[in-house]
Amino acid sequence: MGKHHIPEAHGGHPNVTPLIDVVMVLIVFFMLVAKIGVSTGADPKIQIPSSILGSEIKDMGNVLYLNVTPMSKDSDTPIVTAMVKNSTTGNSEITELKLDGDAKSQLVASLKFYRFGKDLVKGGDAADNDNFQVVIRGDKEMRFAALQPVLEACAYANVKAVNFNTAKVTEAAPAAAP
Amino acid sequence: MKMKGAKAVHYESGPNMTPLVDVVMVILIFLMLAGQFGGAEHFLASNIPLSKGGVGPDNSPASIDEPIEIRVDSPSPDRFTARAGVINATDGPTLTKGLTRLRAVMAEQLKAKGKSASDIQVKISPGRNVKFEHVIAVFEAANAASFEKIGFTKAR
Repeated sequence: MGKHHIPEAHGGHPNVTPLIDVVMVLIVFFMLVAKIGVSTGADPKIQIPSSILGSEIKDMGNVLYLNVTPMSKDSDTPIVTAMVKNSTTGNSEITELKLDGDAKSQLVASLKFYRFGKDLVKGGDAADNDNFQVVIRGDKEMRFAALQPVLEACAYANVKAVNFNTAKVTEAAPAAAP
Repeated sequence: MKMKGAKAVHYESGPNMTPLVDVVMVILIFLMLAGQFGGAEHFLASNIPLSKGGVGPDNSPASIDEPIEIRVDSPSPDRFTARAGVINATDGPTLTKGLTRLRAVMAEQLKAKGKSASDIQVKISPGRNVKFEHVIAVFEAANAASFEKIGFTKAR
């Protein structure tokens, strides 16, 4: 029986097959994991608080991100922005939603639009969206007095689920005994 | 002078892979740069963001079964104190321990009444100056103590 010899590499040409294998696997991975051209409206500049506990939201298509920052460092007036549909163009864009502290503010109207549909009325002609959720992405330095009007707006719009966006932290290792 | 054997080792064994590798690399780099990944973020969920008599309109649907009020104050900008009955905590882990014990005691009492511990509603009552990160720390502690209904009251 003759001996089998591994053929010499094609002189001057490295074998690229393993490279292509790895690169193809990476491409498939990125295509599955990456969200391209999808914006949730979350403002990455906001420094959110951190927490150890937390969960994921399964249906991100039914979520409205509210970016909440105080008007100034010690202000109790919040500035709320969100990616909402422009009534004239029909496109979704980051918009500041005015808060007048009552049930008729622009923020309440926007939340009602997503919660109850075009008629803004519970049980109206448009179908209600019971699974609609709000994500509050708030500045960690903001005072509660600035957050309160946003929670009130969610209450006025009868939003059932409010989620607080936090940064994941791993549990700190216990301190060594002296 | 003619070099002998210079071409002897090169023989065709398949298609030219160079253009394929070029294109694939471009796609890979595009996906790496353009993609948005989940990142290190998650969410603390509240199914009762409002509590009756607290934040929100008076006709809020939240129940007021077996309430526990956690009063949160901020003696200095970097610290907070949380008080609920005999519990007096200045950090999340201590508050979690206290709330876990309180929940166990209340669960026993409610069991005797034929009620469930899931009826307990935690009302977080922060002062106006309490920072959002401290409110979240208290919220997380209540979550860690396995309370299911956690809401907020108006700022004091």
